[in-house]
Amino acid sequence: MQTAKQNPWPTIALAAIGLIAVQAVLYMSYFYTPVQITPGTLWVVTADGGAPINLYESYRIFFMHLPSAYATALCCALTAIGGVLWLLTRQPKWEALVVSAGEVGLITGAMVLLTGSFWGDYAWGSGRIGSGWNWEPRLTTMLILWLAFAALLVLRRAMDTPGQRSMMTAVYGILLGPLYPLVSKAVEIGQTSHPKSFSDLLSAPEIAITKNIASIGVTLAFMAFVALRFQMNRLGQAIEQERAA
Amino acid sequence: MTMSRPSSLTAFAALLRREVTVELRTKSLITSMGLFALLCIVVVGLGVRGITTNETFERFVLAVLWVCTLFAAVVGLNRGATADRRKDFFSALMILPHDPALVYTVRLLSTLAFLLMTQALMIVVAVPLLKLSFFDEPLMLLVIPLADIGVLAPGVLLGAGTSRVRGGEALLTIALLPVVVPVFLGATGATEQLQAGLGTQGALPYVLLLAICAAMFTALGLLLYGKLNEA
Repeated sequence: MQTAKQNPWPTIALAAIGLIAVQAVLYMSYFYTPVQITPGTLWVVTADGGAPINLYESYRIFFMHLPSAYATALCCALTAIGGVLWLLTRQPKWEALVVSAGEVGLITGAMVLLTGSFWGDYAWGSGRIGSGWNWEPRLTTMLILWLAFAALLVLRRAMDTPGQRSMMTAVYGILLGPLYPLVSKAVEIGQTSHPKSFSDLLSAPEIAITKNIASIGVTLAFMAFVALRFQMNRLGQAIEQERAA
Repeated sequence: MTMSRPSSLTAFAALLRREVTVELRTKSLITSMGLFALLCIVVVGLGVRGITTNETFERFVLAVLWVCTLFAAVVGLNRGATADRRKDFFSALMILPHDPALVYTVRLLSTLAFLLMTQALMIVVAVPLLKLSFFDEPLMLLVIPLADIGVLAPGVLLGAGTSRVRGGEALLTIALLPVVVPVFLGATGATEQLQAGLGTQGALPYVLLLAICAAMFTALGLLLYGKLNEA
């Protein structure tokens, strides 16, 4: 295996942009976006068409929830792409990509689940904070995806030889790929409290701008984590190869 | 003397015959899957014995039958893959002068046949024990094999990898269940719609989901089975 010197600058650049964007989003979500307690923008209509609900300030969690979901989708795509590329080229870097995306996907998926279950049920479910898991289809399919990320890492650790480990990582990475479309389509399956569109919320320009910056910036920050873990995993591969030699 | 390479069809028939003969001799798959499914039904029946028959209960029973199918399939896949690994069957299959996809197809079809037999047994048992009300819907003849293929196709593939390691049985369960969740959703959704009398129109999106999963997982299995056994 080539132990080519890694260029840290792309990771540093990604992390710097992500960090600045996260700070900007934090500032904007508290000092730029509105707090409106009269019927209007921050009143959303529930999926069952019931009486509009005032989100008050709770909607600010959305600026972390949505980018975490985007990052999870990206991680899911990266595991599948990395798996395919490993099978085609057998280059260890693609295996490292699958593992890195799986590891970060576990973190971003956990953030989606925590923010979603904490806030989603308040906003579109029972109307009470911390009322528990409500088996909402999108959140539940996200939990399944999170379990699949965990299974990828467990499966990988259980393999006896490096060859088996790489092969199972690639194959499972590919099998994991189709799960995100299911998460995405889950709002169309069964009874859901998750909104199909956030157009009500995003009709306020301040919220829309903050959401766009969060979507790009926070996702970039998570991708910096993927890049960092990728470099660590490459180093791990190099050490393993040295030991084997 | 030169030996001619058997045609794919001959090889397919020989492999399928081997699977059936081994099962007829040992009866290991049918026994373990059937007994497991029966135990599941009895345990669930015990847990819900106080509930009187109503719409929710009927929906619950159908979902339980799909859960039993899923776990019975995992038991069967584990048994099959572990037995083959113990006898070093995979190495022998890989030196066949044919595409490993052929071996995958035979393994998939034979396990499918055994799972269908187990499901027939499950229905016979569930009618009296869980008060399953039988509903006459021809579309179920499509839903059941599609769902079974959706579960078995990634299962046969992953089983070839997990059976190599210690604790592989638990690993297959951990690895397979998240992947086949779309299949479970499709199977329970289609069954619910058909049982509620909503007909083909109501069940069609779920049947489509099942068909997509079955086709995609089978294609991946055909492509990757040989590669997984190389490692």
